Amino acid sequence: MKKRVLALMMSLILAVGLLAGCGGSKDADETTKAPETAGEQQDGEEDATEPAAEGDGEFKGTIKLGGLAPMTGTYAEYGKGFDIGFNKAIEEINAAGGANGYKLEIEIVDTQGDTVTSSTLCTAFAEDDEIMAILGDFTSGACKADAEIVDRYGVTLLSPTASADDYASMSPYCFGIMGRQDVEAPFLAKYILGKYVPEEMGVDVQKVGVIRVDSDWGLSCYNNFMKQAEQESYEVVVETYATGEKDFSSLITKMQAEKPDVLVVMDQGDAVFQIFNQADAIGWEIPHVALGPGTSEQVAAQLTDNNNLIVTSPFFFDPSDPELAAWAEWFEGEAGFAPTIHPACAYDCVYLIAEAIEAIGDGEVTRDAIRDALAELPAYEGLSGTIEFTEDGDIRRNYMICGVKDGQWTVLEGFEYGAEGV
Amino acid sequence: MGYILNQLLNGICQGSIYALMAIGYSVIVGVVGMVTFAYGEVMMIGAFSAYYIFIYVGNNLPLAILAAFAGSFIIGIVIYKLCYERFFTAPRHISLLCTIGISMLLKNLAQIVFGPETKPVLNVVSNKTFNINVFGSTLNIRLLQIVIIVLVIVLAAALTLFFNRTKYGIMLRAVSQNKDASYLMGINVKRTALLGNCIGCGFGGIAGILLGIYYFSVSATMGSAYSMKAFAASVLGGLVDIRFSALGGLCIGIIENLGIVFTAATFRDIFAFAFLILVLIFRPQGFVSKKGARV
Repeated sequence: MKKRVLALMMSLILAVGLLAGCGGSKDADETTKAPETAGEQQDGEEDATEPAAEGDGEFKGTIKLGGLAPMTGTYAEYGKGFDIGFNKAIEEINAAGGANGYKLEIEIVDTQGDTVTSSTLCTAFAEDDEIMAILGDFTSGACKADAEIVDRYGVTLLSPTASADDYASMSPYCFGIMGRQDVEAPFLAKYILGKYVPEEMGVDVQKVGVIRVDSDWGLSCYNNFMKQAEQESYEVVVETYATGEKDFSSLITKMQAEKPDVLVVMDQGDAVFQIFNQADAIGWEIPHVALGPGTSEQVAAQLTDNNNLIVTSPFFFDPSDPELAAWAEWFEGEAGFAPTIHPACAYDCVYLIAEAIEAIGDGEVTRDAIRDALAELPAYEGLSGTIEFTEDGDIRRNYMICGVKDGQWTVLEGFEYGAEGV
Repeated sequence: MGYILNQLLNGICQGSIYALMAIGYSVIVGVVGMVTFAYGEVMMIGAFSAYYIFIYVGNNLPLAILAAFAGSFIIGIVIYKLCYERFFTAPRHISLLCTIGISMLLKNLAQIVFGPETKPVLNVVSNKTFNINVFGSTLNIRLLQIVIIVLVIVLAAALTLFFNRTKYGIMLRAVSQNKDASYLMGINVKRTALLGNCIGCGFGGIAGILLGIYYFSVSATMGSAYSMKAFAASVLGGLVDIRFSALGGLCIGIIENLGIVFTAATFRDIFAFAFLILVLIFRPQGFVSKKGARV
């Protein structure tokens, strides 16, 4: 009998463990617990806006959004930023009367930075007729895996951060506002390696060591980087590693033996500082350049050499801009770390959906109507800069050069530095 | 030549940590008699116990190692009480499933309690590198690598002494070899198995913080990948023989790093597990020379 009770207890623990693993964020749980609307769902597959619930008298109804974010795992910092950015925008929009009179709600789920998990959760959103658009995911690989799903179900996928140049073109329902790798990676090759490092650091770059994550995003970065690197006549040595790798010592030893002039890491997660720290640990003095992390506070805080990292960035929270400074201060209070462009893009994504709903006007708010309105939106001035969709559904950004100085991110060269373009 | 030597050194250092993981794993399997899938999370708890020592006390490595051992030792008690104690005579899959459940629970609780982000473990050991001339080639050995290798050797020697020279060690060996006979000899089998499980977990915890120091970070999800490495190393050593399990861990570390010399780091795990399969094809009992040999 005792064994049965204990076995039952074990099953309960297992179930709790599984549920905890599958659960979304706290905020997501709170939003899903929001008062349900009383009315029946309208007929038709797409128009699933709900009539106003009791207590929401000032709204015409509720429009639900799905949010895909890596709340746990190696990209957890960015997932937390998504969560805060999405909810902040929704709170503001609802406080101002909603989007075209509709209250917005979002259900955020944890994709763990994993492509398969993202696809599963994206399918669940796509099959839920109440979800009118999906925001996320973080990585290009996950978004590309989700592209076929949203195309099949006819629901918009608006990613704050996917930057692979072949993502948005995969489906008319795919949108991204991070900018494209076919601009950022060549910018790095031309302006950081070809101009900034020689002029400001006195290193004539002939041979480049690239260590990149072996993923869709990493490959896209590398291929785009190589197009410019060939024009600049660099000799490039490349090493790859699997996502989630922690031990880079042997890889760094191998790279050091090649004697490159500069070390470039292409990744967005913890691997960036881990690689540079492990390179420092063997006493390898070489300029560190990264493509992908942006001005991540976590990266800057975890470097053993806090004066040796240069990155490309389309955005920086300029402390002299009162609006940006206030947002950054508020975000840091919520998240416990300074924001990068990623939460700012998440915040902008919600506003873009709201703009699209506004643009629909008196028309029926359907999944297709949101997609069409989004595609035709005029240039929008968001927190992260000007957003104007290309025909593919993504945007082109300009880049500046940022670096870590005494453990803090700073702008080394502004947008004018790369004004000639690539 | 220098490059190959340096990669070999990387492999020995990483293999030393794997060896410590495997030693702890083998003690658990040997004494308790059941495989565990919560070992990665035990290592993670040890790593975080030490991490908080670094945060609140400073970079005191001996104290951090003690904290890692103690933290994992305590988790070992919980795991034993929940997953093993009542199930010695039950079908083995019950305790196996329990360890999987505990693993998920610990991992998710850790993400809530410690936070999902990676925590830095910086400058615990001075960043010194010694350049040694070996047959005309330069071997760059880091102080951190020396500390890790020496620590693992000392801990392994201490455990061997404990098993061979102390009353509790002999009791653990007896329980490992035959629980029924041990019971008849007056040994409290359950308490001894609890002690064995906790010691094994404690060694896992120390391996956890060594990984944290070596890779400069700890995270709630760090254990999963290493749990499989510990299991593989332990299988190479015949699951229950600590000396051969340590050798298995060392071999996996060296094979992984030498494999990278010829290919990419992406294939690291392929080398490790291909090596495991190859060994098991020709020696199903692993490295261990005598079937049934135990701690």
